[in-house]
Amino acid sequence: MHKQIFVNLSVKDLPRSKEFWSSLGYRFEAKFTNDQGACLVLGENLFVMLLVEEFFAGFTNKPISDAHERTEVLNCLSCDSREHVDSLVAKAKAAGATTPKEPIDHGFMYAHGFHDIDGHVWELVHMVAEGECQ
Amino acid sequence: MHKQIFVNLPVKDLARAKEFWSSLGYSFDSKFSGEKSACIIMGESILVMLLVEDLFASFAHKPVCDAHERVEVLHALSCDNREHVDTLIAKARAAGATIPDEAEDHGFMYAQGFYDLDGHGWNCCAWVAEAESK
Repeated sequence: MHKQIFVNLSVKDLPRSKEFWSSLGYRFEAKFTNDQGACLVLGENLFVMLLVEEFFAGFTNKPISDAHERTEVLNCLSCDSREHVDSLVAKAKAAGATTPKEPIDHGFMYAHGFHDIDGHVWELVHMVAEGECQ
Repeated sequence: MHKQIFVNLPVKDLARAKEFWSSLGYSFDSKFSGEKSACIIMGESILVMLLVEDLFASFAHKPVCDAHERVEVLHALSCDNREHVDTLIAKARAAGATIPDEAEDHGFMYAQGFYDLDGHGWNCCAWVAEAESK
């Protein structure tokens, strides 16, 4: 079992990406942030490392995929409420994200998401506790 | 802030991918597992959804990236100690993973990575407590 995860993603313009995620209300861990990368705090043990392409490339022997063109990963984050989902999507849209899908209400789960300014896909879900949805 | 992350990744052969991750010692959450998906429990708040490609594609809105060819994401998982890292790498290698590099010992951090059967990149990192590394 693992306590922490660091999702490493490449970004074209680090200051712009930091501005994007800041405007959604997130903060960065200064200990792991410099001009090559920024550590976005998503939860107590959940982190995203936004790395400039050149730095990201140093960690892999494969070419970097352009996330606007194709998708390797969909990162899905749990949210406290429908309002939490809606508010993040609204802020993301205002900050330049695209939202190709409408929100989906499955009764037990409410979901929406966005593609960030580098094309990485984020899903946001609020799961209704059993009993609550009846 | 978010409580949980669900990392969604496409796989070519779900049964084979499940066997791979089982042999590394992980278990699956049956509530989120079915014919086309399997939910690996990686930590209290860290879940990985393996999705067969057509199901993944239906969520992605973009063509699926072949992770053997290109990389969008690298996931780093914290490990308890060096032995934890070494054990996971040994099991991954035995189960058919590609190990591109030797283990790196930075003093404060010990890390080694692998590419799983579908080419997705994983890095196992053990941080040495500050006092310990001196």
